[in-house]
Amino acid sequence: MNDLGAQAVQAVDHGHAVVRATGIRKAFGGVEVLHGVDLDLRPGEVHALVGENGAGKSTIINMLGGRLHPDEGRIEIEGAPIEFRNPLAARRAGISIIAQELEVVPTLTIVENAFLGAEPTRHGLIRWGDARRRVEAVLSELGVHADPDQIVGSMSVADQQLVEIAKAVLGEFRVLIMDEPTSALNLADTARLFKIVRRLRADGVAILYVSHRLWEVFDLADRVTVLRDGNRIMTAEIGQTDVGAVIRAMLGTKSSLIAEGGKPHHAARVARGGLPALELEGVQSGELLQDISLHVHPGEVIGLAGVIGSGRTELAEAIYGLRPIERGTVRLNGVAVALRDPKEASRRGVFLLPEDRKLEGIFGHLDVRENVILNYDPNSEDLQAPQTAATMPRARSPRRRLGGLAPIPLKAERRAFSAMRAALGIRCSGPEARITALSGGNQQKALFARAALSGPSVLFLSEPTRGVDVGAKEEIYSAIDNFAARGIAIVVSSSELGELFRLATTIYVLRAGRIVAQLAADEASEEDVLKLMAG
Amino acid sequence: MKKPGLVGRILAADSAASMLALIAVFVIFSAVNGRFLTSLNIHGIIVSAAISAITGLGMTLIIAMRALDLSVGSIMGFSAIIAAELLAFGWPLWLVIVAGMLVGCGLGLLNGLLIVLLRLPSFIATLATLSMILGGQLLITQGETVPIHNAVFGSLAIGTIGGYLPLAAIIAALIFAVVWVVFHRTPFGRHVAAIGGDVRAAIGAGINVNRVTLGAFTLVGLLAALSGMMVAAELQNADSTIGAGAELTAIAVVVVGGTSLAGGRGNLFGTVCAAVLLASIKAGLNVANVSSLYEDLVFGGILIVALMVDGLRRGNRRRGMLVV
Repeated sequence: MNDLGAQAVQAVDHGHAVVRATGIRKAFGGVEVLHGVDLDLRPGEVHALVGENGAGKSTIINMLGGRLHPDEGRIEIEGAPIEFRNPLAARRAGISIIAQELEVVPTLTIVENAFLGAEPTRHGLIRWGDARRRVEAVLSELGVHADPDQIVGSMSVADQQLVEIAKAVLGEFRVLIMDEPTSALNLADTARLFKIVRRLRADGVAILYVSHRLWEVFDLADRVTVLRDGNRIMTAEIGQTDVGAVIRAMLGTKSSLIAEGGKPHHAARVARGGLPALELEGVQSGELLQDISLHVHPGEVIGLAGVIGSGRTELAEAIYGLRPIERGTVRLNGVAVALRDPKEASRRGVFLLPEDRKLEGIFGHLDVRENVILNYDPNSEDLQAPQTAATMPRARSPRRRLGGLAPIPLKAERRAFSAMRAALGIRCSGPEARITALSGGNQQKALFARAALSGPSVLFLSEPTRGVDVGAKEEIYSAIDNFAARGIAIVVSSSELGELFRLATTIYVLRAGRIVAQLAADEASEEDVLKLMAG
Repeated sequence: MKKPGLVGRILAADSAASMLALIAVFVIFSAVNGRFLTSLNIHGIIVSAAISAITGLGMTLIIAMRALDLSVGSIMGFSAIIAAELLAFGWPLWLVIVAGMLVGCGLGLLNGLLIVLLRLPSFIATLATLSMILGGQLLITQGETVPIHNAVFGSLAIGTIGGYLPLAAIIAALIFAVVWVVFHRTPFGRHVAAIGGDVRAAIGAGINVNRVTLGAFTLVGLLAALSGMMVAAELQNADSTIGAGAELTAIAVVVVGGTSLAGGRGNLFGTVCAAVLLASIKAGLNVANVSSLYEDLVFGGILIVALMVDGLRRGNRRRGMLVV
């Protein structure tokens, strides 16, 4: 076990593929997510796989790992077609996956994890002495000094990941798939991981490296494949492409989709002077957010641009109290506040429309009305569209009475819901329709309605139109304009540059956890922003 | 890094709490009443501890797998009744014991099959079988008590070697050794812990979760049958009161012994300590003339304290993970 992956070493031949997937198609519940994707991995190369969320990266990885089966297309190993019945079969064929979510058992020790499912035994008993020696050898190869009997759950995430790598090295593997391996690592640990990846590559292992962080890709990879919406957009030698080309391939037509008619109401929405509704100064959270300063006035819309992994998501979480802020100040209307948790944030009028509706936004088992009136507070200003202002109830808050146990007056609630439904154009069969039966756009509008009914002063919108069709998009944009016109400060975080230019007056560009530029939307071009995003 | 000293390591051990409590109980009860430390009383404690330890050792694996088996008490009673009936039929003793244990295996396997095939949560599946097995007991005995006239069988529980060492303690020690080796030294045992620690990771590592589940439930069935027959041997008869409530005792000795309900780890030695602890408390209350009516109250209190401690430790662990 002295040289890593010695089993896999073959004459390093860059024309020959260890794994070749051709024409892979896959549908879930009738919706095709991969439309005939090709991918090949060569021994001794790091092949980067990039694409936005939902581009199909995980699906193809899971196929190579035997967790999913392609509907169409074939996977070959060393030229021989193969069908993996389960993850074990893929492992036996020499493919090892280090998943995004670590797959170590936290309650077991390093050596127990390293050999889990493949324990060396004699007469049915595990030869721990032998196992320990082999793990120690691999760990020292990887430059890790840890006691093999240490409980994995007590180690740092970086070290847990190294346990997974050790596990992969101990198995007989020639292909290593790493899914976002650096997402939880700091810079020092990332550098250590790169060293290990390079070492494995030198030993002839084929490595499929999935990452959102393009600088990593250009630092580490030999080739890069870009997926978008289930299609392979490009595969190129790293030396023959550049970051801009990769970003354009990732974003596709979205990046040139500036809404027709340009930037409508900007002039009308110039900051009204006075104190910003939300102001961040030198905010830091771990390594993912460094020295973030920005401000947004009541009635203003600012945009956050940045590739995934640039810190946009983390910034949303920090403002909403989901991520500890270690340094810096957050001010709401000039008053420094500590937003320790979402409860605190929403009490102070800060609301987040999350990136992932299904996971974090909607309550799938409830109906539309219940989803909309969840935080309903009739004390709040009427914030719906002008034509319904008169119908807005102004009763005392029924929610807060009797510590939240007082019954909610159904009538007021119904009125509030129908006002919102009309204002935002929520299309549903009725208030009692299951929210999951609505289209993505209408679900999103329901979440907007919920936010509006809670009386926000700052709205943070993460990818407000993801998975929303073009028509609904425009409706959501005008709803955002409307909110702003009513004096709400709005932060839009989006991977669609056109959206930011359509909505925002100021665009902040984030890269690697820092704000690298602050641009006036009327003076900057998409090309400028793209370049800043890539660095 | 300096290794902690012997005292430090003992205090840090998962079973430390139950060991310290055990010492305290002995000191207190001996001080309160001289009769606590008589050999007859100690003998009783050991027999009763051995019986709950044997089922508890099986339950430790089940809880380490992040499951529960509520049917162990009913399996104890059922096997005891089967053994008593077969002895009455005139079967040879060794065959009766083998048959009783096979019955336990079969019932355990049934639990496992329900969990694996119907994808039922283990506590629901075993709650159902608990009820069915109790029904079976009543059908077999018609509510009567089955007497046992076999002195050798009786000595299995209360007999001693050299007049001092109870046979029950030797049986329990053997079972402890076997279960310890199975849990710590075989792939099966480590897979049990892996499933309890993170089932997704276990599947990812290629572990056959169904097979391990079947194995663990069969094993606990076997051990429950063994302790059920020991109870029958002690009482010299069998009826459906044997094992009544024993599932709670079994869970109690596991949790008091320091095994977390969160799964992923099991503390077999702690289980044995806790079995002795609970048996001593029971005997101590007896000697101190506390009505046995209070026993369940006291046990419930101990269980709550143990669960609280487990909850606090788990909370710390979770917070520890978040900091990373």
